[in-house]
Amino acid sequence: MNEEQIIEAAKNGDRRAMAQLVKSYEKTIYNFAFKICRSPERAENIMQETFLSMVKSLNQFDGKSKLSTWLYRIVANHCLMEVRKNRHQFVSIDDDEDGYYDNNFAGDWNLEPQNVTENEELKQILDEAITKLSPEYRVVFLLRDVEGLSTEETGKITELSVPAVKSRLHRARAFLRKEINEAFKR
Amino acid sequence: MKENNVTCKEVMSHICDSLGEELDSPKCIAIKNHLDECTDCRQYFNSVEKTIEFYKLYNLEFNPAMHNRLMDILGLEDK
Repeated sequence: MNEEQIIEAAKNGDRRAMAQLVKSYEKTIYNFAFKICRSPERAENIMQETFLSMVKSLNQFDGKSKLSTWLYRIVANHCLMEVRKNRHQFVSIDDDEDGYYDNNFAGDWNLEPQNVTENEELKQILDEAITKLSPEYRVVFLLRDVEGLSTEETGKITELSVPAVKSRLHRARAFLRKEINEAFKR
Repeated sequence: MKENNVTCKEVMSHICDSLGEELDSPKCIAIKNHLDECTDCRQYFNSVEKTIEFYKLYNLEFNPAMHNRLMDILGLEDK
């Protein structure tokens, strides 16, 4: 069965088909939740909430978008609700765009991205940098750059126009690069 | 020029897509020419690319216990 057929079967009450859908997306949804909230425990809770929503509302999925896009919208909403509880810790980048385009290259950028999972110091730098970024920018950066969704799909999920997605993406990239560069200088 | 197994065309496509420009648009061609000549911009661009790659590759393991807890909560079985 292809995914469309599995979705139809799950909508018609086939529990095995529903389990198959969960299995197809659990890892992606868990890691996306982690990339936004930066806590393994909270990411697991958000993943569970997301699939509870999917099981409850799959009949409302009209098939006009990909199932993954629909799930990203659900998980992004759950994540935003969760991380907004700590709004005070974010840096606002709405008003100071130029301040984040730092073309200083004093940081050591020789680390290979492939080694990120074994490098605890680098993981800490990445966690600290993205935790400072406001959730609305974080979601756009993660959907577009990290998950590889199109600008249009990212706009649909976040309910932003295409120019707004591009603007947030530029600022988020510049902010993160600057934060990481600062850390690499230390 | 090859950057971490990514071709120049992919790199330019990524930049130009973000800018809302077609690959063969005058602005995209001008950016490519500028990147070829400007070491600072090239370094900046490479570090942005590396930033994205870091976050792409920073994933957590999804273990069977997490899968089992999820299936329990959803009242689903693997069979």
